[in-house]
Amino acid sequence: MPQSVSSLAAAPAGPSLLRRLARRNEIALLLSLLAVIAFFALASDTFLTTRNLTNVLGQAALPLVAGIGVAIVFISGEVDVSIGSLVAAIAIPLITIMNATESFALGVAGALALGLAVGVVNGYLAAYLGINSLIVTLGTLFILRGGVYLYTGQRAIPDDVMLESFFQLGNGRLFGVVPHPAVIAVILLIAFAYFLRHRPFGRQLYAVGGNPEVARLAGYNVRRVKFVAFVISALLATIAGILLASRLGSAVHVAGLGFEFQVVAAVVLGGVSLSGGVGSLAGMALGVLILQFVSNGLGMLNIATEWQLVITGGIIIAAVAFDELKRRRA
Amino acid sequence: MTKLMKTLFAASVALGALAGAAAAENMPKKIGYVVNYATHEWYQNVIKGMKDRAAQLGIELEVKDANLDVAKQVAGAEDFMAQGVDVLIITPVNEEGVVPLLRRAKAENMPLVLEGNPVKGMTTMVAICDYDTGYHAGVAAGQYAKEHLGGVAKVMNVGLPLLSATVLRSNGFMDGIKTEIPEATLVHDLDGGGNPDRALEVSSAALAQNADVNIIYGINDNSSLGGLQAWKAAGKSQDGLLVVGTGGEGLAFINAMETEPSYKIEAAMFPEKVGFTAVDAAVKVFNGEAVPEHIVSPTTPMIGADWKKYYSVEGTTRSINWDAVNGVKPADKCMKTAADLK
Amino acid sequence: MSLVSDRSQIVLLGILALLCIAISLAAPQFYTGANVIAILRQCALVLIVATGMTMLLVAAEVDLSVGASLAFTGCVGMDVTNRTGSLVLGTLAALAFAGGVGLFNGLVVTRLKVNSLIATIATMMMLQGGVYLYTREAVQNLHQIRAFTELGAGYVGGLPIPVLIAALIFIAGFVALRFTTFGRYLYAVGANGKAARLSGLRAERLKLVAFLATGLLVGVAGLILASLMNAGQPTAGRGFELTVIAAVILGGTSLSGGRGTLVGTLLGVLVLKVIDNGIIILRWNQDLQMVVPGVVIILATWLDLVRRRRDAR
Repeated sequence: MPQSVSSLAAAPAGPSLLRRLARRNEIALLLSLLAVIAFFALASDTFLTTRNLTNVLGQAALPLVAGIGVAIVFISGEVDVSIGSLVAAIAIPLITIMNATESFALGVAGALALGLAVGVVNGYLAAYLGINSLIVTLGTLFILRGGVYLYTGQRAIPDDVMLESFFQLGNGRLFGVVPHPAVIAVILLIAFAYFLRHRPFGRQLYAVGGNPEVARLAGYNVRRVKFVAFVISALLATIAGILLASRLGSAVHVAGLGFEFQVVAAVVLGGVSLSGGVGSLAGMALGVLILQFVSNGLGMLNIATEWQLVITGGIIIAAVAFDELKRRRA
Repeated sequence: MTKLMKTLFAASVALGALAGAAAAENMPKKIGYVVNYATHEWYQNVIKGMKDRAAQLGIELEVKDANLDVAKQVAGAEDFMAQGVDVLIITPVNEEGVVPLLRRAKAENMPLVLEGNPVKGMTTMVAICDYDTGYHAGVAAGQYAKEHLGGVAKVMNVGLPLLSATVLRSNGFMDGIKTEIPEATLVHDLDGGGNPDRALEVSSAALAQNADVNIIYGINDNSSLGGLQAWKAAGKSQDGLLVVGTGGEGLAFINAMETEPSYKIEAAMFPEKVGFTAVDAAVKVFNGEAVPEHIVSPTTPMIGADWKKYYSVEGTTRSINWDAVNGVKPADKCMKTAADLK
Repeated sequence: MSLVSDRSQIVLLGILALLCIAISLAAPQFYTGANVIAILRQCALVLIVATGMTMLLVAAEVDLSVGASLAFTGCVGMDVTNRTGSLVLGTLAALAFAGGVGLFNGLVVTRLKVNSLIATIATMMMLQGGVYLYTREAVQNLHQIRAFTELGAGYVGGLPIPVLIAALIFIAGFVALRFTTFGRYLYAVGANGKAARLSGLRAERLKLVAFLATGLLVGVAGLILASLMNAGQPTAGRGFELTVIAAVILGGTSLSGGRGTLVGTLLGVLVLKVIDNGIIILRWNQDLQMVVPGVVIILATWLDLVRRRRDAR
């Protein structure tokens, strides 16, 4: 995966340096993750159990799946914060269609259709009309949340048909051990890592985010690449939203409040730069896992929410500062 | 904790021991409570009541906070089940959003008590009756309006449509006030977000639109106080105004009742008592005893200086008077519940 | 450049006038004195902080911690006034706290080189947690000092005091951005950070000043809010940062730095607050208070973009 950074022929620094740098970043993240796990394993006797570790993987699946899309948008040099409301919005067609048709597949199709529409709107406004993507997606964040409240009258929509397949999707475990959401997240992660590394789109993505002028000169369609990034992000957020809806057994109007902050923080922690062209999905995944294990571990140690907020905020600043300082020295 | 509170607790420990002696077969070792919003004063006091009761019974109580995030709530309950607690207590962030969780708990034979809102497939729930709380405050407000406001009732409701509980309170208040003053009107029905600053802002706009209001009702203390502050900021006199708050979870309402001439009625919901009752219910469910589907925790309107019966204040610490609170009889059944809203 | 920004403000001015006329026609209560004052008072809180935020955005930085800091500052100000019985000490404590938060943000961004979006999300989390460690519940007004109540609810010459304070801050900010070297350099730093640094400008120190100024202004707004609510409320200020940033962006300030004016920000604040107020005055569904600003911001940014592209041609 780190090679995808290096495949940017037009990058100012040599590919081998970039590759080394990216790899080192992920190793640092991996060591941090192991340190976090080791710390909580020593501090709490219920932390290091198969049950707890697999639980955390299942819980991390949602930010992991959405994080792939957000990372791709970041690498393209844009931002997507609309995902927090999108995960709540797509649950409405999902649950209503399932209630009406008793078909899981049709519900998923409805959810994906809404996700696709949001991705197309975000992408069109940001990539083709050129409106700043933070403004666009902040706007859709508000519009979608307001729309959810208006449509549902601020009441959750219950799942009346209770299909077993839908329940199992978010709540079941593969071989009784690994939660299904974790399995889905890993499959998507591998697929997209392959996609970014071995398909032309990956190369174009890093080029467009790293230096749009050069990418344009190289003959890449900058607008289309960015547009596709927004569509991918919305579709992945839709999948995360479907997993969440299964875990909640309903379309909950307050679902996903603040989810965008959680994912953006994890993605940046994972070394994906907000200024575009830099970062990898492996780094993003490690960033998500670090924050999820910290949250779980602090809970196991019975640490109050206020301290959890203070500690998590401190970790984010420290980690990103460390990363930046390292980058500058290199 | 103040001395007074400690004494009161010692007394209730003795009472509890007497009451518990009859049924004291098995005590759960550990209870896990997944709260929806631990930093809120209301839940701070619920947790306080739970911890005190758990300590009396020799049970370890652990709390995980969902901090209003439905996904985090499910994660918190999963973590507790992995940790191996004996009973779970859950205050749902959203009552529909924990249905699969209840199913999973059942599959693992994990006893579970809900606090606050009913959920499909639950064994038992400990909760106040939100509708009744608003209703009785409404009746009291109607009587007050007959005596002091010339029998006129024009209400501004600083509400919160987001939660069924708060909608029930507002509905109950209007139904209650109409039993005394049938021609009572709802002039403004607002979404104050349950926040003091948002309540202030929307109330200011509403009062500018139509200030022909003489009763302000707030679904919590932040909302009633936000409404009152908007009234004051508009430069209006508090003569002929009545403010009614709900909750009574902190010092804010006590301060207002002492200093603001219009703040006369507070619907008390005794969060400490809710926590206390929830732990008792958890013990019963753990032992497989029969429990009613809804265990009602009492509420009552406090008028004027009534609050002194139930609470005492020393500096910035508030203590509950258990004898008085335990003397408030809860209803057997709620007049209306969230199910009636659909 | 000034010509372009002036023209972009004409679009906003038009939107504002249209909104006011339309709402007034549908509901005459809109232009009553009471409502105008209510709107202005709400605008004042946002405008005070938005003045600092405009400077930050001009310098290509952002501060998302202002909402959390607003709540915390109010608690600190009220608490210290209660303890000391001195409004002066309470005010100083609140300003010192809020200024400290601004300074911290500035140092993390300029010295540690953390992207300001992330740095201030992290500060926001720490403040949200910290305020509950500081106080479990609303800090009540135990001192009952009259001047404190006047700060939010008082009038001078028929104008609410918060509006006067906001006007003074706005004028000071306007002068600083438009007529001083500080302002000129700030635009230069935001427009092209690297070039400005090369030409000897102390870019980082300028950004630090902008963060500090924003922090101090949050302190002023926090005190006014605490006065209006007659309490220091740890739960206040939720979403305030988004309102402020939305107003600044709506006013034509670019997120990528180097472009924007305070007059635009003022218009942005007015448009958003008139919409917010209008939805209640018209008795529309309050859920629209989220949808309409979202649409307006995207639309206004797009119109501005179209107009600038046409001008560039």
